Amino acid sequence: MRSARTPLAITLSVWKALFLREALSRAFTGRAAWFWLIAEPVLHVAFLMLIFATARIQSVGGIDMAIWLMVGLLAFFMFRRTAMQVMNAVGSNQALFAYRQVKPVDSALVRAGLEGFLMAIIIMILLAGAALFGLSVSAADPLGVINAFLGIWLFGLGFGLVMSVAIELVPELSRIIHLIMMPLYIISGVMFPISAVPQPYRDWLLLNPVAHGLEAARLGFSLHYHSVPELSVVYLHGFALVSVFLGLALYRQFGLRMVTQ
Amino acid sequence: MILVEDVYKRYQTDHAPGKWVLQGVSFSIPPKLNVGLIGANGAGKSTLLRMIGGVDQPSRGRIERNCHVSWPMGFGGGLQGSLTGRQNSKFVCRIHGHEDDIPERIAYIQSFAEIGDAFDEPVKTYSSGMKSRLQFALSLAFDFDVYISDEVTVTGDAAFRNKAATAFRQLADRSGLIMVSHGEGTLKQFCSAGIWIHGGKAYWFDQIDDALKAYKDSLST
Repeated sequence: MRSARTPLAITLSVWKALFLREALSRAFTGRAAWFWLIAEPVLHVAFLMLIFATARIQSVGGIDMAIWLMVGLLAFFMFRRTAMQVMNAVGSNQALFAYRQVKPVDSALVRAGLEGFLMAIIIMILLAGAALFGLSVSAADPLGVINAFLGIWLFGLGFGLVMSVAIELVPELSRIIHLIMMPLYIISGVMFPISAVPQPYRDWLLLNPVAHGLEAARLGFSLHYHSVPELSVVYLHGFALVSVFLGLALYRQFGLRMVTQ
Repeated sequence: MILVEDVYKRYQTDHAPGKWVLQGVSFSIPPKLNVGLIGANGAGKSTLLRMIGGVDQPSRGRIERNCHVSWPMGFGGGLQGSLTGRQNSKFVCRIHGHEDDIPERIAYIQSFAEIGDAFDEPVKTYSSGMKSRLQFALSLAFDFDVYISDEVTVTGDAAFRNKAATAFRQLADRSGLIMVSHGEGTLKQFCSAGIWIHGGKAYWFDQIDDALKAYKDSLST
């Protein structure tokens, strides 16, 4: 008889299996899915750049418009894609919970990991592409950029965890979340600098941790960037950690209910 | 050895906790014993199997598995529609910690299932017969101490049915088996002991015939 595996060994092998399964279906479900995975953010950035260039905006907040736009959009995608993937994790792996080794929270965590990995690749491809066009893409404070993206990714994970359980308990919430994703795109400061918003409205916009993440990422790229003075990476990370812990606690309490019945 | 201790189970409905499905079920299954679960539809047989398989948790009480228990075989789950048969098989190998001998196990599964080229097509394109072939092959590819089987009805043509029946009999001889079935013949063929589930309670019978008799008596009165 085989000796029993430790819980850690089981979890690690489940994570590996799930990661490969998710990566496979992200990259190869549908025609040239791997192409659209990369093309979608690239086209999005290119389209917005075209609009800004048509409006003859060359710089925003003291840095090049293209860099400003690209970094902000990528940071926002990091949040939205992670959150959405985590939110739908349990639903799209329903069949695999027939094996007791696979817990609902595993699929959510693995999806967040995969999305972070994919975004890292997409960011590098976009930056390399921008460098070929002669933009200066080397970050002034690389650690600051990584820190900002990490915070956004963590918040995406936490948001997704909390919301996936919340939707299970109150299904109507899913409509509301899809409803707020569009305004969130605007109020996070993807298309206009938050520092241009007068008080007291600026403080309201800065309640949104994603806005802090975007500004911090841009500031990391160029130290000359006129970011919002109230910028706080600690606020972003605090928000992210609290949401991740809340999400994990909710999964502990309600995770099983999402896969039974 | 599987220990079920004072297990209560109810499901949450949309508005309130549902009514109790199982109320205080206790028994222990010694190693290598084949047990049949008998009861009316909705008595809680599948619920109990799922809890023994670890897929669901009791609302109250405790279940101990001191051996390798299979996943609940045969209720259509366990196959991800968007993945191919091969990818599904690899996934199951990996989560059971058989990373190093995946090729041999895949070869076994492929040759037992006999679904030809469809093995590399997404499972959602399979017919129900092909699906059950793959599921059956999957469950045979691993050595468990106890298999739990929820109405495994082997479909397919006569040749496959014969092969599957032989494999299932070998499996029942080699390791323990806990099965739910409404077929009296199947139960008598594979099981020596029986558990009759009735009114949220479980009654243990050392002989499957006694369990079947108790079940039938409860129907006639």
